[in-house]
Amino acid sequence: MANTYAEELSSKVTKRGEKRLARYLPRGRTLVPYFFIMPFFIVFGLFWIFPIVASIFYSMTEWRGITPPVFIGMANYVSLLNSPRFHQALGNTLVLAFFYVLAANLLALALALLLNAGWMRMRQLFRTAFFLPMTISIVVSAVIFQLIYAGEIGLIAKALSVFGLRGPVWLQEEGWATAAIVMLRVWRTLGYYTLIYLAGLQTVSSELREAAIIDGARPWQVTWYITLPSIRPVILFCVVISTISGLEMFDEIMILTQGGPADSTLTVAVYLYQQGFQFLQLGHAAAASYVLTCIVIFIAILQRLTIGRDLP
Amino acid sequence: MSDNERTTSAADPSPSVQWFAIIMLFVLLAVVLTPWAWAIISSFKVRGDIMSAGLWPREWVLHNYRRLFAETYYSRWLINSLVVSIAAMTLGTLLGSMAGYAFAKFQFRGKTILFWIVIASMSIPPFTTIIPLFGWMAKFGLINTYPALIFPFAASAFGLFLMRQYISTLPDELIEAARIDGCGEFRIFWSIILPLARPALGTVAILIFLASWNSFIWPLVMMRSEDMFTLPVGIAGLNSEQTPEYGMVMAAALVSCIPIVTVFFFMQRQIISGLTRGAVKS
Repeated sequence: MANTYAEELSSKVTKRGEKRLARYLPRGRTLVPYFFIMPFFIVFGLFWIFPIVASIFYSMTEWRGITPPVFIGMANYVSLLNSPRFHQALGNTLVLAFFYVLAANLLALALALLLNAGWMRMRQLFRTAFFLPMTISIVVSAVIFQLIYAGEIGLIAKALSVFGLRGPVWLQEEGWATAAIVMLRVWRTLGYYTLIYLAGLQTVSSELREAAIIDGARPWQVTWYITLPSIRPVILFCVVISTISGLEMFDEIMILTQGGPADSTLTVAVYLYQQGFQFLQLGHAAAASYVLTCIVIFIAILQRLTIGRDLP
Repeated sequence: MSDNERTTSAADPSPSVQWFAIIMLFVLLAVVLTPWAWAIISSFKVRGDIMSAGLWPREWVLHNYRRLFAETYYSRWLINSLVVSIAAMTLGTLLGSMAGYAFAKFQFRGKTILFWIVIASMSIPPFTTIIPLFGWMAKFGLINTYPALIFPFAASAFGLFLMRQYISTLPDELIEAARIDGCGEFRIFWSIILPLARPALGTVAILIFLASWNSFIWPLVMMRSEDMFTLPVGIAGLNSEQTPEYGMVMAAALVSCIPIVTVFFFMQRQIISGLTRGAVKS
């Protein structure tokens, strides 16, 4: 119904002169766009812009919540610089993000290439099943995986014990805990990145590929020299998005390990949560959050300059 | 590309390679579905079966689900989650579509800079905003109230972006014709633009709902008493008790998925297009 109304309306304006006349807002109505953006920007300003800017100030204060913040200059940043625990958190965050980005993107790209092949069957089934975990919360996926990784009662331990084998106690051994968290994240987001890669692959011209094949290129050569270069913007997008979310890992770590064992899965996000909301060192936490923000932006720019070089 | 427009090409690998690939995909599919199956099976187990070595339950019971509603605040968390997410979704979709309309169809001073600020804000971690907001909410007595969870999700940068993209594809002539006919500016938006932008509205609404429904750090920080928790915080609480009732935790996790998985199956196309849009075009 809306469509016929729209068609009726658009058919009314046919003459160019009328169109030009109407392009300009009537006198005294220049405030109209501001009326439309105002509600959004009031909320956006109060709950995004203002806190982001205020956080810079708070990161230079000693602030314990109820009492007013006291300005202490760069002391929070200096203490972060000297805190071995923060260094550990930074290192862990980078390691987790690196393995997550690598695993998620390689797997998703391989899956998308497979699902995009002309001879592939049951695409819809695979797409839906792989995407489903993305719709549930990280908390829910983490409690489910808790019962997979757990020693003795976990699915992996039980399945291995059927064959008389003993695996690692995933969440209590350094290294294994990191791997467990990366695998959970990959499980949750694999379908999402696969879909983005698939959407990108469908824009690649099939004539170019056919031409290369006629000229005698092997299938892997077509993939490497034609398909992948054509979807470079999509690869960049997925790498940047997965890096940002990898650097901000929080929910599943709070559920599965709380940063343990021996701080081996302590991320910057978990560190700043503990500092801010458990020890009520809000100024210190704000400083840590700014370090995280700078790292996120720095790495995103770096990726833009390497993977995304000479892209528009 | 759907299943029925299967294409064949001279460069297709041999049928045996194709079957090998499909079998590998099914193996991966089994791996991906295992956590779901394990959660469902475990939610029907008695405590003894969870703690013992066997994989399969010796008896199937419903009491994990019954206890969830009888002995915990679960129904309260469910209501809290619904209230907060529906409010954020409604408010967020309205604000986002109004602003998106202005960015798509009007020229005004400060347009470019405002748009870039909104886009740039998407890469800032939520941890940066939550610290000052926690302090301010405490000051104004908003800790442990619904608004503390609604407003942070009501101004969705991604929502504005999607609405702008979609509305800018609608013809300008519609608006101009309505103006000539003397239609008020807000009515143009409400009765012409909004109905035409329905597909994008649905996508934005779902994305905001999902973001709010699945959020953990916000309710974890803002909600103090157990009766004000949302589902993720409540489930995390059940899971972190001294001796967690894993069967009940699984039941809690699965029930919390029902609304979303239902919506997903009905609106799969919109969710997927919303989540993948912007990736390929810009």
